Amino acid sequence: MAFIQAVLDGLMIGGVYAVISIGLTLVFGVMGIVNFAQAEFLMLGMFVAYFAWAYLGLDPLIGSILSFIVIFCIGFLVQRTLIQRVMKAPPVAQIFLTVGLLIVIENLALLAFGSSFRSVSTSYQTSSLRIGPLFVSVPYLAAFCMAVLSGFALWLFTDRSWYGQAMRATAQNPLAARLMGIDVERMQQIAFGLGVGLTAFGGAIVLPYFTVNPTVGSQFVVLMFTAVVLGGLGNVVGAVIGGLAVGVIQSLSALLFPIQLQNLVLFLVFIGVLALRPTGLVGSSR
Amino acid sequence: MKYWPYLLAALAVAVLLPLWLAPSGYLIRVLTLALLFAALGQAWNIVGGLANQISLGHAAFFGLGAYTSTLLLINFGLSPWIGMLAAAGIGALAAFVLSFPTMRLSGHYFALATLAFSEVLRVLASSWGSVTGGPAGLSVPFSPDSLLMLQFKSTRPYYYIILAALLIVTAIFVAIRRSALGYRLRAVKESISAAEVIGVDTARVKVIASVISAALTAALGVIYAQLTYFFDPDSVFGIISISIRIALITILGGVGTAIGPIIGSFLIVPLEELANLLLSSRAAGLSQLFFGILLIAIILVQPRGVLVLIRNIVTRARRRKPS
Repeated sequence: MAFIQAVLDGLMIGGVYAVISIGLTLVFGVMGIVNFAQAEFLMLGMFVAYFAWAYLGLDPLIGSILSFIVIFCIGFLVQRTLIQRVMKAPPVAQIFLTVGLLIVIENLALLAFGSSFRSVSTSYQTSSLRIGPLFVSVPYLAAFCMAVLSGFALWLFTDRSWYGQAMRATAQNPLAARLMGIDVERMQQIAFGLGVGLTAFGGAIVLPYFTVNPTVGSQFVVLMFTAVVLGGLGNVVGAVIGGLAVGVIQSLSALLFPIQLQNLVLFLVFIGVLALRPTGLVGSSR
Repeated sequence: MKYWPYLLAALAVAVLLPLWLAPSGYLIRVLTLALLFAALGQAWNIVGGLANQISLGHAAFFGLGAYTSTLLLINFGLSPWIGMLAAAGIGALAAFVLSFPTMRLSGHYFALATLAFSEVLRVLASSWGSVTGGPAGLSVPFSPDSLLMLQFKSTRPYYYIILAALLIVTAIFVAIRRSALGYRLRAVKESISAAEVIGVDTARVKVIASVISAALTAALGVIYAQLTYFFDPDSVFGIISISIRIALITILGGVGTAIGPIIGSFLIVPLEELANLLLSSRAAGLSQLFFGILLIAIILVQPRGVLVLIRNIVTRARRRKPS
């Protein structure tokens, strides 16, 4: 029974990981850039939701929408002012630019917010539902539902809206997209904003069961990259499956190993997947 | 060979300068660290510069070196010189094992995989407390002023040892660059499939280069442990403090050139120390912030490093003169 409970918990958390990972994979899919600073945008999203709770009294689940909007705008500007300049540069420049962003954002947050841990308190924080012999934690369930909703919204956007289609066209072939009259640079700005915004949203919805401080990103960076690599870099459906898989792997390894080694299992999965199937386990190689 | 006079002059300055500085002062400490990071950058340059395989995980070998020699010293009383040989062996072995999953990777994928590898080692070092001392780290048992045990009270002897190390690593780099291996590595850098076609065993070439690079990095990790007397998993396996700094120094100075890591290190390390000195008392994170902004600025201005930047300015100035 502990096994089934662990799988259930893993899937609940994995749903949130899926949203976080979609953001990362979207940035890679549209622009071909691995954003090493992605987890820092998650941290910023958590802070936005935290302050929305602390000063406006908004529940983090609603504040998460505010997180998305704020971080979308920041991402849009970051793409426009910084990353745009290295789009055609060799990978070294792209890697180091996003690494530089990581350092800058983390330390700006440290200067602005201090290093203390902050957490919200909500009415449902410690409650859980009972289904037969299994327990479902309410904050886990709420975050999972928000994750599903945001995934649905993203699907509507990319599949139905003109902007979404233009963005997918940009991902497939920037040159052809440009010939069709699509403003490729604008699409990349939207894609980067959307990517970091979704990851920030994912950070905000876990706030009811997670504390935030400026270095919180490092706790998510491993699982985010593992999920994305599992699903294949740039593959959105793959990121969803990867996110769920990472949630379950993490939850099961907590049953078997001491807590410090949880990330180790993920790292080994990560290196293993890179070695055997660099294009990801889901879908065929492009 | 018109560079020889300049090189000899630079070497003379490097040898004589410490005699004017306080033997354990702050300045000589900064210079020693700059020399150490120049040597690390040079070792990284063998893989990152010649083959363009951007490793973000060289802290893995650095930390392995520091832990290997220090554990041998603590548990068996072995001299760090022997520890250095053992460390180089272990570093080489680690690079060999790591090359299996990473052999076919390049660009972002290679960077991610190497980064993950160094994190694996950091987590292991933190959690395997019975052997590694866990998150609290290890202290090198102190028995000062013994060349045999590579321990000195003042910084000056370390300065000369690390200067010698830098010269050795640079010589190895230059030798590799001029050798057939160097040409093969550059063929891999230009185009891996073209290199395959003309008969380069690309996998073998990359493995040899990364094994040499890792062995040197591990040996330098030993010297670092002896210099600082204390280290913990976060300091020797640090992503930003070691892996990224090494790569950045080389890229800033000029990737693939012998002088690049030296220029990069003598720009970055003193700048960082200065930032630490001026800023860290004001607020936590300020000097790190400075480091990050510097990194972004360098990438945006000239991703190929200061050497190229200077060369561009010089050629532009020359072009203007005649007209």
